[in-house]
Amino acid sequence: MTPQPPAAGAALLRPITAGEESGVFLRLRWLIARSTLREMLRTSRLRVSLVILLSALFWGSLFGLFHEAFTFVDSLHAEVISLLFNAFFSSLMVMLVFSTGILLYSGLYTTPEARLLLTLPVRSETIFAHKFQEAFWFSSWGFILLGSPMLTAYGIVRHAPWPYFVFLLPFMVAFVAIPATLGGIVCMAMVAWMPRLRLHALAIAFGAALLAIIGLAWMALATPRADAMSAAWFEQVFSRLSITEQRMLPSWWLSSGLIEAAARAKDGSVARHQAEALRYLAVLVSNALMLQLVGRQAAARLHRLGASQLVSEIPTRRKRRMSWFDEFLSRAGTARGRPLRLLIVKDLRIFRRDISQWSQFAIFFGLLGLYFWNVRVFNYQHSYAAMIGFLNLAVVGLILSTFTTRFVFPMISLEGRRFWILGLLPVNRDQIVWSKFLFSFVGGIVPCCLLVLLSDTMLGIEPWLIALHEVCCVVLCAGLSGIAVGIGARMPDLREISPSKIASGFGGTLSLVISSLFIIAVVLVTAVPVHLRFAAEERGFASTGWTAADRGVALGLTAAVVLGLLATFLPLFLGLRAFRRLEP
Amino acid sequence: MISFEGVTRSYGEKLAVAGIDLTIPRGELFALLGPNGAGKTTTIKMLVGLLRPSRGTVTVAGHDLVRNPRMAHLHLGYVPDEPCLYEKLTGREFLWFIADMFGMPKAAAERRIEAEIANFELGEFADDLSESYSLGMRQRLVFASSLLHDPDVLVLDEPMVGLDPRSVRIVKDLLRERTRGGMTVFMSTHTLAMAEELADRVGIMVRGRLRFLGTVADLRARATGLGTGDPAAEIEPQSLEQLYLDITSADGAGPPR
Repeated sequence: MTPQPPAAGAALLRPITAGEESGVFLRLRWLIARSTLREMLRTSRLRVSLVILLSALFWGSLFGLFHEAFTFVDSLHAEVISLLFNAFFSSLMVMLVFSTGILLYSGLYTTPEARLLLTLPVRSETIFAHKFQEAFWFSSWGFILLGSPMLTAYGIVRHAPWPYFVFLLPFMVAFVAIPATLGGIVCMAMVAWMPRLRLHALAIAFGAALLAIIGLAWMALATPRADAMSAAWFEQVFSRLSITEQRMLPSWWLSSGLIEAAARAKDGSVARHQAEALRYLAVLVSNALMLQLVGRQAAARLHRLGASQLVSEIPTRRKRRMSWFDEFLSRAGTARGRPLRLLIVKDLRIFRRDISQWSQFAIFFGLLGLYFWNVRVFNYQHSYAAMIGFLNLAVVGLILSTFTTRFVFPMISLEGRRFWILGLLPVNRDQIVWSKFLFSFVGGIVPCCLLVLLSDTMLGIEPWLIALHEVCCVVLCAGLSGIAVGIGARMPDLREISPSKIASGFGGTLSLVISSLFIIAVVLVTAVPVHLRFAAEERGFASTGWTAADRGVALGLTAAVVLGLLATFLPLFLGLRAFRRLEP
Repeated sequence: MISFEGVTRSYGEKLAVAGIDLTIPRGELFALLGPNGAGKTTTIKMLVGLLRPSRGTVTVAGHDLVRNPRMAHLHLGYVPDEPCLYEKLTGREFLWFIADMFGMPKAAAERRIEAEIANFELGEFADDLSESYSLGMRQRLVFASSLLHDPDVLVLDEPMVGLDPRSVRIVKDLLRERTRGGMTVFMSTHTLAMAEELADRVGIMVRGRLRFLGTVADLRARATGLGTGDPAAEIEPQSLEQLYLDITSADGAGPPR
């Protein structure tokens, strides 16, 4: 069939140039950013303020930490900076390849926007560039937030000349662009040529990379307990890290460029070092640009092919049977409590089948477990170990609070959308709220208590203090579940279908803030009396019998339990009352 | 205007579309009917370039969807069954985005946007963010965007889902008017009555094959048994619905009457 002349309207049309396409996407991004910002300022001021405040706090704390660290390293082993930079940047590079690859997979293929763009007369290269910019931003902001305080602190400690601080951003951006583009190319190639393997391969490769990094860190740091932090230990660690110093890696170009940019000659002149730094920057930028060209060429050839391959995939049909545990939970107990148990079984089943929920849970708690396992590397004093135990307890609580806010808080709102199902069942509304609470409480208590036990055992903490930490952990699990479920029922968002959007609204932010304050309060009221007790012991005050310090510890524990009861039942009471009156 | 030449598409070992040959000329409204899983969605996906045929070619206005997708898309308008909008854009901003993508001159784009806003009665909420739109409002906006560049071919996947009766009437009138003006419409639908009311030709698809292809009059004639040479059928005419059920029944026995 030969091409036909277009209809009257279409005759006015012409395929637009690549530059015009970019302009249209730029305008689209600007419009979306503007309306998002306006809405955030109108409806989520608390959240925006909190994000800015916490980011500033995070940045400031990291800056202080790195400043101290660089001062220490600078005075002892000045030559190790290159090694540390290389190890840090090469690990980040691997992570950036995967994170951008995964983000681009979603942006280029699976979102409704991707399907819309594929039906418009737009070049695949432009679609790739548009989605790459998004993925690049999401991948790099974490690096910038982590890297900028570190590199600023380094510059200040080294008394770097001003061009160093000017070069920082271009260096970071050019560096991130290289692994990010590589991730995009790998993603498109995998989807186009191995569509069946894509998810499994990505998951396996990501897991392997994560394990490799953890393994490397483990190998680098693992050493007998007594040797930790000694000169021999440092020497051993650095010799193991030298594997990351490869001249063909962008991490080497970045490390060397930054070190040159911060350096001064013995006579104080900087010109030669600055020229060298610019050379490294040029290498980074030229490689980033070259990879962009390769990425666009790959997009032109592979994007539509991959999208088609992906549409051709038939979702695997898996028959799901009731697990023995679900069966047991639904049948055990009285008939009166059966509706409540069935609601919990339903939530449990949804949780198990939603990989995004339990995989994040597993990754965070897994990493925390790994850290707790490793705290034994260092030899702590008696009282110091107790305080680290409390800090670890707080970390467990804070991670649990992010999960209760992200996953438990939206549950009531999502249930609200299914009211037509629940409304027809012989279940009263209180049971719905209580089922969420029990699901969260019981689900949180097992991993959290095990983690606290691991941390305390590795720290060699006394049994009475382990018991105290465990009680506090139970209090935290109950309180955090009460806060998330109670506020979730008090402030449901019945219109929203995305749990992440529900969690990031006012109610979710409030829940996170109250949860954080609750954790801090519980840890403080128990940690301070314990600290005082150890201080009294060290100063030779009576250590036998029931002392005033012991009474302080008991009082602190009582206060924590009272706080826990309040945090559990007050939000639940308010939530239950509001949920009974809710008109969906 | 639309041409399927020996188009086959398989998903692994499953044959979704089996060797379709179909040509739809300018100005025709073609309705594709069939039960769930018949291959309608696969056919539509190949027609709009979301899916490549395993064998054969699909062309729009003479442009191959695989070899030259941009030129083919320039002649296409598409209304999917699940409308996709940018939630943080207003309806008007979305229409401008589409107009810019099709390279419409500014003055023409402005004129067409206002015309489509009026046609689909979008004026009241055109400047609201589309995240606040109901399903029907979204569907109307997607209709407006698909017609903005006055495409030669309009592809509709279950177009009336979510529309209220008034909007359905607007869409039907517009389709009649545009096809009279030379636009070709390819519509997938489950609604037999709509196909009967609007379509010039009907294709009934079963298990990836076109079991019936002809005008609505042909289908009606077959339903009443006239001209089939079957005296029994002429004595007891079938309803269109019953005929459709007979054609689409998998084992050929047909469902109970």
